[in-house]
Amino acid sequence: MDYTALYPEIIVALFALALPAVNLLLKDNKFLAAVSLSGVGLSMLALVMYYVEGLGPLAFDNGLLVLDDFSALFMMIFLAVAFVVILASAKYIEGEKHAAEYYSLILLATVGMMLVAASTDLFVLYIGIEITSLSSYALVAFRKKDIKGAEAATKYFIFGGISSAFTLFGISLVYGVTGTTSFSEIGAAVATLDAYKEMIWLALVMVIVGFGFKVAMVPFHSWAPDVYEGAPTTITALLAAGSKKMGFVAMFKFFLIAMLAIKADWEIVVAVLAIVTMTVGNLAALNQTSIKRMLAYSSIAQAGYILIAVAVGTEYAVTGGIFHILTHAFMKGGAFIIVATLTTVAIGERISDYKGLAKRSNFMAFSMTVLLFSLAGIPPLAGFASKVVLFSSPIMGTVDGSEWMVWLAVAGIINSAISLYYYARVVKYMYVDELEEGAPSEKLKLPRSMVAAVAICVVAIIGIGVFPEYFIQLCQNAAQALFA
Amino acid sequence: MEIPILSLMLLVSLVGAVVTFSMGKNPKMAKISALVFSAIPMVLALFMLTEYVQTAGGYQFKESFTWIESLGISYILGVDGISVPMVFLTTLLVFLAVIFSWDVDHRTNQFMALLLVLELGVLGVFMALDYFLFYVFWEVVLIPMYFLIGVWGGPRRAYASIKFFIYTHVASLVMLLGIFALYFEAASFNGFYSFGMEDINAVSPMFGMTFQIIVFGALFFGFAVKMPSFPFHTWLPDAHVEAPTAGSVLLAGLLLKMGSYGIIRVAFPALPDGAHEWQWVMVILAILSIVYGAIMCIAQKDLKKMVAYSSISHMGIVMLGFATFTEIGIAAGVFQMFAHGLITAVLFMMCGVVQHKAGTRNIPRLGGLAAKMPLAATFMMIGFMASLGLPGMVGFVAEFSVMTATFDAFGWLLLIPVTSIAFTAAYYIWAMQRTLFGPLTKEIDTDHLHDVNWYEALPLAVLCGLIVLFGMLPALVFDYIRPALGTVLGLLGGI
Repeated sequence: MDYTALYPEIIVALFALALPAVNLLLKDNKFLAAVSLSGVGLSMLALVMYYVEGLGPLAFDNGLLVLDDFSALFMMIFLAVAFVVILASAKYIEGEKHAAEYYSLILLATVGMMLVAASTDLFVLYIGIEITSLSSYALVAFRKKDIKGAEAATKYFIFGGISSAFTLFGISLVYGVTGTTSFSEIGAAVATLDAYKEMIWLALVMVIVGFGFKVAMVPFHSWAPDVYEGAPTTITALLAAGSKKMGFVAMFKFFLIAMLAIKADWEIVVAVLAIVTMTVGNLAALNQTSIKRMLAYSSIAQAGYILIAVAVGTEYAVTGGIFHILTHAFMKGGAFIIVATLTTVAIGERISDYKGLAKRSNFMAFSMTVLLFSLAGIPPLAGFASKVVLFSSPIMGTVDGSEWMVWLAVAGIINSAISLYYYARVVKYMYVDELEEGAPSEKLKLPRSMVAAVAICVVAIIGIGVFPEYFIQLCQNAAQALFA
Repeated sequence: MEIPILSLMLLVSLVGAVVTFSMGKNPKMAKISALVFSAIPMVLALFMLTEYVQTAGGYQFKESFTWIESLGISYILGVDGISVPMVFLTTLLVFLAVIFSWDVDHRTNQFMALLLVLELGVLGVFMALDYFLFYVFWEVVLIPMYFLIGVWGGPRRAYASIKFFIYTHVASLVMLLGIFALYFEAASFNGFYSFGMEDINAVSPMFGMTFQIIVFGALFFGFAVKMPSFPFHTWLPDAHVEAPTAGSVLLAGLLLKMGSYGIIRVAFPALPDGAHEWQWVMVILAILSIVYGAIMCIAQKDLKKMVAYSSISHMGIVMLGFATFTEIGIAAGVFQMFAHGLITAVLFMMCGVVQHKAGTRNIPRLGGLAAKMPLAATFMMIGFMASLGLPGMVGFVAEFSVMTATFDAFGWLLLIPVTSIAFTAAYYIWAMQRTLFGPLTKEIDTDHLHDVNWYEALPLAVLCGLIVLFGMLPALVFDYIRPALGTVLGLLGGI
């Protein structure tokens, strides 16, 4: 059997399994992080080879998994997130026990995400989701003595388990009706289906609920703020930037390949959920006092934006969705890593703890400003570029009878305006407000590896924002591959 | 090879901002760096003024590069007779604002760098010939101004800066929706997707009527907030009162002009039929702004707030000129943009001087300043006189032409806006009398009252000189503006 298509996953999986063994030889935390980073780097190299050599779509095991432009781009995103998270973790979890397991679990979670990206079959997709989910339950509970962390992990586990059950139930119904689990075959079967249509609708509801939990879609979002707040912050970055995006990959594949034929039946539901999700997320974010909760709600809002791509469902819309997933991974990942970095120098997680931050660390305040403004969609940052593609897609995709989709763009733009308030508020705290009386005012000494992780995100956001063309092309190729 | 003079101006501002920002350790060097880097664009702008062929019309110094190919977005710059005076005004005011801010000692490098970033954004707005690029520069302007108000502002700066940011950002987003609508509508006529202004304007007369009316409304809202026009003006007094002097100068002198520039550069040519349908709304809002702004001025106790409201009134005159749809009206509107930029800069600088020397801008607490600071009083009187429209100064030419055009277009409706001239004279002369003349007040420490410093006198003198120069020889500016109006008038149907 030809394993070429699987090289990126195999590399990461091997490193994940080898880490506990390495730990026996060398217990040094930094060394373990370096080993994990090299695993991620090697896997990225394999993907770069795929791009440079122009290998085209590679299939594994009769096409159960494929490496094409779509999966390669998502693997790249997931690996980049893992890279940044591990880089930041080297210092963040310094002195903790079980560092090897920590890195190993991050890598395993990444493997799961990569499998989801490569899957062409519902069951493989489900297995990928489960690998990621189980690894991340354990990661959220990593600081098991921390009460908030334990609570978050329990909550995450219970919600995650229920959502998996829903997903599985939905999958079984689809299988029962169509007799296959391959996306393209389901698509063909659904297109010509005459009996059991109700069963497919039921399956759709189940899957929307199941995936809805994963991407924190309203009304299945309530776990997200608690879990994001309670988890170690580097893991929050992984959840928000990585595993949540995996949910969108699953949605793209399920809705836009398997269920494309009956799009007219579900597009309005997804569109309404998109608008509700972005609005609820933004409104709830307005008066948060914890920066992690605020970012969590902002994540929910951003999930609403990305759902526009599913609802519109054209190739251009998916391009926008993928592009926004890409930029959001850096924006949100970077923002959470800044929070993590600051906690290592005794700056708390309340927004008011950021008062006068610019005086203590210009770099951190500047980076946070760039990332938050990018989230709000201020040009010339990457978040603006991706929102432009995403929000223009409902207007461009308008065909006779679906003019209502324009409201998706309007809702997105109104929401972006609302969101600026809470993003700008943080900037205000950092730059405008003075340090509180008696608070320490000396310059912060920040761990270099974490600063590097933040710098990668900021450079990516500015770079993609100023020169988006290449990335739009990448996303367009990915979208084409999805529909091929 | 031709020198890409417009890009060069943008690049110098950007590089200047970075260099100036990096001089955190040495405030003196930061100031000098900002001075040099703001002088270069001004010299380039002067060079551009001489090289520009007035009679040729159309866009000159054009540069065009593909930026985001898949969306039809290009980096196109170019100037015509409408933007040339604005570009010059921008470089001049930023240069003078840098000099005027010589005494800023709190985070000097950041302050100066932000002024240069602001210059980058404003210049970009006046040069961009691609709607997308236009929007990018439009938004770039917000960020430095937000920080200028937020960090160096007065006591309520946090509130004012956020209000400014959100209010104008919301307006920008509505405008962005309008721009998207243009983009897709034009593509259905052109057969290709492009944000290029010339590409879109080429097919704009073919757009459907309903489409034009709705989209013009969206664009007009975006620009009216920025100008600002009654009833979207409430962010302006707050922002001005809290902003540092240089911030106020650039806010009133340049940022407000972006709004009116947007109407003439974006809204009119892209939606000529829509403009006709909205004509009366524009006229009514313009007149309301003129009269309401003037009446509000009389009631103000804060000198700076008074000047802020006078800006609303004077920007109303710009809109009234545009709304006539006649050559003389639009030309006068553009001239008023230029004139108001010069005059309002003097006024806000004087507010800064008074605040700085006397410790308060509260008009009832001031009095007799002329005795202690004769030079300052002279500048202030020139500014007030120019603003109230004294013949021989730049404001008179602009207002008189607009009023003439208004009479030609709307007849005796002119009587309503013309009342503002009386109100304007009233509040300026009354304010002058209370602050500059009369006995020295006991409210303030008059013993330590000094006249203006060199770094304050120099920009004020330059501006006052230009106010008189262009007041005597308005043709210097009109010769640029008038040949350039052919395109927009042609699209509007040349009434």
